[in-house]
Amino acid sequence: MTRIERRSPVQFKGRIKKWEVRDNWTVALAYEDEGQGPFLVDLSHITRWDLQDKSLSRFNQPPGKEVPELPGSCRLQDGVLVTRMNRTQAVIWHLLSGAPDLPAESGYTDVSDATICLALFGPNALAVAEKLCALDFLDPGKQVPFLLQGPFSHVPCQLVLMERGRGFDGGLLLTCSRGYAESMVHAILGAGAEFGLKPAGKERFTDWLGTAFPAQDTSSRKGKPA
Amino acid sequence: MALTITCPVCGKRNGYEFRYGGEDKGPRPVEEGMTPRSWCDYVHMNACVAGVQKEWWCHKNGCGAWFTIHRNTLTNLEVEGVEVTS
Repeated sequence: MTRIERRSPVQFKGRIKKWEVRDNWTVALAYEDEGQGPFLVDLSHITRWDLQDKSLSRFNQPPGKEVPELPGSCRLQDGVLVTRMNRTQAVIWHLLSGAPDLPAESGYTDVSDATICLALFGPNALAVAEKLCALDFLDPGKQVPFLLQGPFSHVPCQLVLMERGRGFDGGLLLTCSRGYAESMVHAILGAGAEFGLKPAGKERFTDWLGTAFPAQDTSSRKGKPA
Repeated sequence: MALTITCPVCGKRNGYEFRYGGEDKGPRPVEEGMTPRSWCDYVHMNACVAGVQKEWWCHKNGCGAWFTIHRNTLTNLEVEGVEVTS
């Protein structure tokens, strides 16, 4: 029998304390010595869809998960983050749960295996980000969560600012092409060393998301089973 | 380079995030009666305005949108708003 194995291009040096196999990915749930934050979590296993069409409004998303009207705006419901990129394109990230089957309509593409996804959050997380990119995460005119598209450590990325706390506390998600994984992780961990940045497992991310967005049911595992 | 460009999707950004797409030469010429010389002129010849010109840019390190801006080639500054085309 053929066994499918999907591998994240992100490799952390920390020792994995707890892990599970989910949808053919080996997912690190916790690392030994994750520290007190900030944290860097590999989310490359989460299902990410690209939705592209001349008229995005014709796609019937479930209530609460409709594509936002304005480019840069996001909608988070039941652990599903829907983000409008431009006039014709949106992305749908299933942050907490397994995704349902990809809709048959031609506008959808599953891009999970083409990109990496990282979460950077915790105390001074935005100070780490500001060392690597010139984008304005603290723009008071924008309400979280919101999307910025631009270079992060000189790599074109999609960055979703999820939380802004006191000072430089907060959290963001970033995706970029899969080939940049090793360099990106090296750059982020290097920039975050002075703040105590360490790799962390998926459980840390789930806890943080539940704290940042209390309305999200972080205990649920809806959708296709692993 | 101090150039900043206003992307219609992402807002004002560093010029290094963009790719220059050439002068805006208007719509593609009609093919009827077109000579190789007139086509060559349309493709390769530029006005090279010393002043404000309309030109195409692509936000290649950002949202990927193509759009036009007006830029003063003497000061290297954007002078007007942008038009969304993609």
